[in-house]
Amino acid sequence: MDMRQTDKWICRLFCVFLAAMPLLFWLLPKTDYAAREKRYLAAAPALNTENLFSGRFAEEAEAYAADHLPGRDFLVGLNAVFELASGRQGTHTVWLGRNGRLLEAPVIWDEEKLARDMAAIRSFAERAGQPVDLMLVPSAGSVLPEDLPALAEPYRDAEILDAVRADAGDGLRFVPLLPLFQAAENREALYYRTDHHWTAEGAYCAAARYLDTVGREGPPRGQYRIITEEGFRGSTWSRAALWFLPAEPIELWDSGREFRVEIREQEGEHAGLFYREHLAEDDKYPVYLDGNHSLVRVRSTDPAAQGKILVIRDSFANCFGCFLADAYEEVVLVDLRYYRSPVSELLDEGFDQILILYSIGNFMSDANIVRLE
Amino acid sequence: MVFSSNIFLVFFLPGALALYYLTPRRHRNTALLLESLVFYGWGEPIYLLLMLFTIALNYVFGLRIAQRRAEGQSAKPALAWAVVLNLGLLAWFKYAGFLARTLRLLPGLGALPVPAIALPIGISFYIFQSLSYTIDVYRGDTQAQKNILRFGTYVSMFPQLIAGPIVRYRDIAEQLEGRRESSGQFASGVTLFILGLSKKLLIANPIGALWEAMRGQPGCLSAWAGMFAYTLQLYFDFSGYSDMAIGLGRMFGFEFLPNFNYPYIARSVTEFWRRWHISLSTWFREYLYIPLGGNRRGLPRQLLNLLIVWMLTGLWHGASWNFVLWGAYYALLLMGEKLLGGRITERLWRPLRHLGLLLIVSFGWMLFYFESMPELLAFLGRLFRPDTTPLHTRYQLLAYLPLLFFAALAATPLLRRWAQRVLSRPAGGALRVLVPALLLLLCLAALASQSYNPFIYFRF
Repeated sequence: MDMRQTDKWICRLFCVFLAAMPLLFWLLPKTDYAAREKRYLAAAPALNTENLFSGRFAEEAEAYAADHLPGRDFLVGLNAVFELASGRQGTHTVWLGRNGRLLEAPVIWDEEKLARDMAAIRSFAERAGQPVDLMLVPSAGSVLPEDLPALAEPYRDAEILDAVRADAGDGLRFVPLLPLFQAAENREALYYRTDHHWTAEGAYCAAARYLDTVGREGPPRGQYRIITEEGFRGSTWSRAALWFLPAEPIELWDSGREFRVEIREQEGEHAGLFYREHLAEDDKYPVYLDGNHSLVRVRSTDPAAQGKILVIRDSFANCFGCFLADAYEEVVLVDLRYYRSPVSELLDEGFDQILILYSIGNFMSDANIVRLE
Repeated sequence: MVFSSNIFLVFFLPGALALYYLTPRRHRNTALLLESLVFYGWGEPIYLLLMLFTIALNYVFGLRIAQRRAEGQSAKPALAWAVVLNLGLLAWFKYAGFLARTLRLLPGLGALPVPAIALPIGISFYIFQSLSYTIDVYRGDTQAQKNILRFGTYVSMFPQLIAGPIVRYRDIAEQLEGRRESSGQFASGVTLFILGLSKKLLIANPIGALWEAMRGQPGCLSAWAGMFAYTLQLYFDFSGYSDMAIGLGRMFGFEFLPNFNYPYIARSVTEFWRRWHISLSTWFREYLYIPLGGNRRGLPRQLLNLLIVWMLTGLWHGASWNFVLWGAYYALLLMGEKLLGGRITERLWRPLRHLGLLLIVSFGWMLFYFESMPELLAFLGRLFRPDTTPLHTRYQLLAYLPLLFFAALAATPLLRRWAQRVLSRPAGGALRVLVPALLLLLCLAALASQSYNPFIYFRF
């Protein structure tokens, strides 16, 4: 092509682009909710004098245009691939590791925050007047170092967990998971590839270890009927925006027992641990106990079931709680991010065990743990 | 409105170009004026009044000055009024708060109220443009514009309205009267616009994120990396904006003068300022330094002129003392180069001179960035203490290294020379189309993805 021809092509293509973008914007159907990004999209701005003169209309119009840009999903994915290819993955909080596994970047170790939280936990344990167990779920990256991308920042989970254990004091029993997970033969099956949570397998191993520690027994592995659902795309998949990564299965481990689940934000009781309506979504993890809620009570209908446990927890206990339910008469799950009353008020109910269960990532970053004080 | 926004790319630009080219030739200036007013009023409609007032003010004074000159009478009082009113607008809208805050430090004035005025976008640019017109009419360097629509088109022209370049009226007076848009000019405008957009979205913004990530962390390594990141961010942000402006101008048939010429390859401060924000340095030289006497009234007077010009150049960049300090810093450096006449530096090995200039400029950008003196000193202190950069920050830096190297390369003419060689090959023609297309796609992708999109040059 000579100069004049290339000039003509540049003009043509640019004009097509300029014409197509607004046209597609008007013609394409608009949605309120972006399933991949898991958030509500900006609503159309209201055109009135006040909005126009305060500059609000301009702001909202930009957000609206950005959220409903034609081909937005493709573009967001293209940007993620471009950043991956230009070596900038390390600036993100989710990394693409080997074997198509998405991993959360190491947690930031804020020693002051950790010391404050540990003091709050110790004083909580003192007030409880009974042993409190503390179990932290290690990051997938620290359990699966062979899956990490090249030149990845090292995980310091072992150091952090040692520091937590050293700071635990007498009233706290630290239940280690990292050695168990690191030594597991099926390590790659303990965490999802497209989600930051542990799999049912991982939660089962941890629950078995915990029950063993407190001298209880749950159903053996063989007693569970495992139902596999395909098409799970979790939170790290959404955050990484690397859409080409395939979905994975999610497993429901059914012990065959019956439970009544009571959730504070919902009326009535739910029969069974699994909320199967969530299986229709991309992110299927809320299938366990309906996802995150402030206070969840799981009661066994088995008259032979005994014991009561309080779990102060993050979302890793949605799945984990299902396995505890098999070993107790009642499991009470409290999420400090949503539960605003003092937890000590609950202590009057009387519990056989009190467990604090967090993933290391949430434990190091959640600002609500200090409220245990 | 900014160029690197969805609204601009998806709605404004298609609409503006369509309206412009569908309008008969003799009304195209009016179409461009209307578009510019929409562009300017988009975020802050109230300041449209200020824009219209500035246009009317300079239009009237331009005619008045031309009339006095034609009658053979002194136009000086009219010019003085025009300058005072223009600078008065700038002083009130940009510097009133700064002035009040400074006066409050004096004894007895502690209760002085500080007016809360939102800075009208681009005011520093269009006031300076208007002044160039009025002064040029006074000097007889250009004719007064009799058509207010045409004059309004010049003052408000949206491609260069909010972040330059500062286009002198006389440079585009003929283009305002009669210009012939061509597909060649349009195509080169599109290419330049996309290159500028890429500089902003694909280099300046992510490198700005690196500066953000390094700035607040402890350690020497992070401080040096942050300082160089900011140095690169400023160049790609601002020169990207100038490229977009010049490119858009070409799409509408205008040709503006270049504003940047690889400033970071300069070997002296004097050379740096011939390559950085050329339209601003030109403005200050033409309308302040030379009228003050320039270098024709002896060395002491020249040094004083340098100090005045550069402190005001600093203040033009922002209403805060650190900008004055930054200006004074360059005044001293330029005085040094004048006095020594390059006697010392010219003997130095060339790479050392490049490195020295880069250090001087990067250090200058720190004066430019930090408005608070304690923060500045704390940051500069980090540069010279043993390293304590946390591991996490080191890994952040590692991930930015490829981008940093690419940006450093792109800040020199090497990349452009290589691209020109490739494009001049027989297969280069297709690349001249495909590369901008791919870059535009990546820009859209970045735009769809990022919430981090501040325009640094908004403050001016």
